[in-house]
Amino acid sequence: MLKKIKVENAVGTQLAHDITEIRPGEFKGAAFRKGHTVCDDDICQLQKLGKNHLYLIDLGDDEIHENQAAAILARALAGDGVVWEDDPKEGKIGLHAAFDGLLKVETTSLAAFNMIDEVMCATLHNNTLVKKGEVVGATRAIPLVMKQAPVERAAAIAAQCKGTLKVKPLRKAKTGLIITGNEVFHGLIEDRFAPVLSEKIEALGSEVSGVIFTPDNQDKIVQAIKELLAGDCDLLLLSGGMSVDPDDVTRKSIRRAGAVDFNYGAAVLPGAMFLTAYIDNTPLLGIPACGLHHRTTVLDLVLPRILAGEMIGKKELSFMGHGGLCKDCQECVYPHCPFGRGL
Amino acid sequence: MQDFETLMAGSAETHGHLCPGQVVGVRMAMLGCRLIGLDEPTCHEQIKKLIVYVEMDRCTADAVAYATGVKLGRRSLKFMDYGIMAATFVNLETGKAFRVLSTEESRDLAEAYAPEIPKKHARQLEAYKRMPDSVLFRVQKVDARVKDADMPGPTRYKTKCQLCGQVIRDGREIVRNNKNICKPCSQESYFKHAREVTWPEMDWTPSNVTGITESQIERDKTDLLHIN
Repeated sequence: MLKKIKVENAVGTQLAHDITEIRPGEFKGAAFRKGHTVCDDDICQLQKLGKNHLYLIDLGDDEIHENQAAAILARALAGDGVVWEDDPKEGKIGLHAAFDGLLKVETTSLAAFNMIDEVMCATLHNNTLVKKGEVVGATRAIPLVMKQAPVERAAAIAAQCKGTLKVKPLRKAKTGLIITGNEVFHGLIEDRFAPVLSEKIEALGSEVSGVIFTPDNQDKIVQAIKELLAGDCDLLLLSGGMSVDPDDVTRKSIRRAGAVDFNYGAAVLPGAMFLTAYIDNTPLLGIPACGLHHRTTVLDLVLPRILAGEMIGKKELSFMGHGGLCKDCQECVYPHCPFGRGL
Repeated sequence: MQDFETLMAGSAETHGHLCPGQVVGVRMAMLGCRLIGLDEPTCHEQIKKLIVYVEMDRCTADAVAYATGVKLGRRSLKFMDYGIMAATFVNLETGKAFRVLSTEESRDLAEAYAPEIPKKHARQLEAYKRMPDSVLFRVQKVDARVKDADMPGPTRYKTKCQLCGQVIRDGREIVRNNKNICKPCSQESYFKHAREVTWPEMDWTPSNVTGITESQIERDKTDLLHIN
């Protein structure tokens, strides 16, 4: 229960919540923290902050303060790889990445959680690459005092799937590159695929263990796949030969090499002719020519998820359609853009 | 209690069709019974311990009744005409009572839980299976003391309407001006302007015997004596 008192009568009482101060463009934060004992000197500043009245709190048996609520919610929301401190600021608790990795948000649980009255949680997008310590979400109870039961129901929803927010570490893959194409193999043009792919792989903390150039020849491509898999490669990227020309034989070669869970086609532009397949759980990614011309493609959406241990199949490639259209900006600002954020 | 799928199949057959309300009702019944500590509400030992108040006359009500085995005629099923998707489960032995409410937000969340299903009806049906109880329901612990006159078992009390002479059972009379009167006479009825009529084939009986004669009755009596 809340009791309203005039600020000038508040000397000696404890603040029921943080008092926020906002100086536009300069500062936003707690001028006074919850629990601060109001003294004579504070009255003037509180009035300057627009506080002519303060609340005194007398909690009922079934009520909790917003700070307690925030802690209950944060505990339930945080899954593996997400850490938080029980030190709410202005009633809010931030959820942070415990290490570098890929943020996974159970968007369905998050929606269900936010449908409960008087609680909220906002997150970064699902499948965002995050750094250790980065804020990935924040939660709070909306009112200063609320009933405990709805908070605990919201927490039960958030705790589904062992937490609504998780950060998955990226494994360090030993990557094999197979650059296909007669024109490159025979030296008619210089390869630009290997450097582009290597840069993307290394940016995610993995390494390139081997590069094989092959002509558009099924036998040679199959042989290259087997050779890299027999080595220490645990991820293969194949470029070129993914289109519809008679010379495009990479797809067939991947099948002939014994790949299973074969998915050709993604609801992403650039990257419609992307391919995923697996041989003995090792992912094989077929990258169409767009990987050369566009800075950001379907590969940038899929590769972090592969390295986070996800199986990427028909469903995943199809669900990327919403938000899967690159705006092809003159200056690419990915990942700070809507590309791939539909899910 | 039977598993969810078995209960669903039986409920849909009894109700006449499979619908999202059936899913909600069966799950509501499973949760309600679990909360009051009855794991086999239809078995002989538990059947007399359970009373369920349903607050809606929708598909969900039939599913709750099917899954729990409560029945109007057994007085274990009470219909409270509130128009609310809720039911209260009472354990008569322990006095525990929980009111389980279907959440309004679960309707909006169907799209999130079954996004691959385009048609609303099928999507709700599947989504309500996938949602955890915490999303599908709210629960209130309630005091729901069942009055003696509402308890299962034989009629405890009868009186006569002092206006029309109709027998009224279980304290449903209304006292007005120190007189016990039935609801129809008190104008609290769902009908009005009642007048007695005759109807065609008034002599019909289920055995469908028409033109029965005195000698046939005598013959039947003799047959019965032989049997006994």
